[in-house]
Amino acid sequence: MAWPLLSQNMLKSFPEFTHNLKNMAINLSKGQTINLNKDEHDLSSITIGLGWKIQQQKPGFLGGLFGAKQQDYDLDAIAFLLDQNDKVTTLGDKRLVGGDVVFFNSRQHPSGAVTHSGDNRVGGDGANDDEQIVVKLNSLSNCYHKILFLVSIYEGQQKNQHFGNVSSAYMRAVDARGKEIARYSLSADPSYAGRCTMVFGEVYRKDGSWKFRALGDAHPFDSFVELLKQHVPRN
Amino acid sequence: MAINLTKGQRVDIGLQKIGVGLGWDPNTEASGKDYDLDASAFMLGADKQVPSEAFFVFYSNPKSPDGAVESSGDDRTGGSSEGDDETLMVDLGRVDPRIDEIVFTVTIYEFEERKQNFGQVRNSFIRIYDASNNAEICKYELGEDFSIETAVEFGRLYKRGGAWRFEAMGVGHKGGLATFVAKYAKKFS
Repeated sequence: MAWPLLSQNMLKSFPEFTHNLKNMAINLSKGQTINLNKDEHDLSSITIGLGWKIQQQKPGFLGGLFGAKQQDYDLDAIAFLLDQNDKVTTLGDKRLVGGDVVFFNSRQHPSGAVTHSGDNRVGGDGANDDEQIVVKLNSLSNCYHKILFLVSIYEGQQKNQHFGNVSSAYMRAVDARGKEIARYSLSADPSYAGRCTMVFGEVYRKDGSWKFRALGDAHPFDSFVELLKQHVPRN
Repeated sequence: MAINLTKGQRVDIGLQKIGVGLGWDPNTEASGKDYDLDASAFMLGADKQVPSEAFFVFYSNPKSPDGAVESSGDDRTGGSSEGDDETLMVDLGRVDPRIDEIVFTVTIYEFEERKQNFGQVRNSFIRIYDASNNAEICKYELGEDFSIETAVEFGRLYKRGGAWRFEAMGVGHKGGLATFVAKYAKKFS
């Protein structure tokens, strides 16, 4: 979990990243039903919170002596800022620093409107947010039309970790007044077993205001780069 | 002078732009929940269904794709004005050729949770008028014409021989907006 390892991973994935771009139109909306609920939320800003429980070590002498130390779960909250064509306009440098992806290596969007609280690599009590992404939607430039929020387990596949065996993990969205809009309990849902990444939800512009939509699309891969590929413009 | 239409009565609309206005008084009881009435429009094709969800104009979709029906916005208390609190503006010259009927409804948001009906709301009405001179064509006093109902099909504009006509419907229901979605937007309900 050292930083160099991470940047190597990011670099390794880059040749593929630039040469194997899929021209896939993605439709993330689920279902076709008309939602008759009024949006009671103040979306002048939105906070995405991610929390999970720190790994309990097996007690006892033998456990300590012979048992391998159970590896910590390192969950990450990530945001993609997308333009009107659902694409990331600026990727930043080779490590994606300074671009339209806000994550552990690039925690402050150049506009200042999106901030990542910092990389927690072990979790907490499972009841409070261990990582947060705060977006000041009202001060976001007009060129951004949608923000996707993701959670993934860092090196989850390698460590045989997935949402099905993490303790008390959740992701939630909170409006500007502190009112919760949506929450997914990752570990409590059997359909997330074997999954290391979830597209939690999105905020998007509609008729001059912002709307939030919960998505909950889970994927087996543990790197958000897989999803980012779908949002990189050709050329 | 307004023509107060009785149910089923029809008038020719020799007009291009008309307004559908909905008004009501805010709830003045200190402990009472707000009355939140909503005016909506279902733009229907020959099969009496919306061709797509975008032709259902309501608080979450304030404008139809052809630009023919546009909402003034969602008033959640009835406090916007002494007169109309919500307005749907209709430009009959812009209606998509697939559409030959527009049904207007009034519903009470969360009528079940808030235990509300038209009989409780003070001075509620829905009216249709000529937008060029504000002359009223027809009006329903919701609280007098309805009581335990919570949803009303107010009236419909329909095309007959190339001209638009208005028919006052005044059909009350004990449901909400979902009742009309199930009727006019079956595929999306």
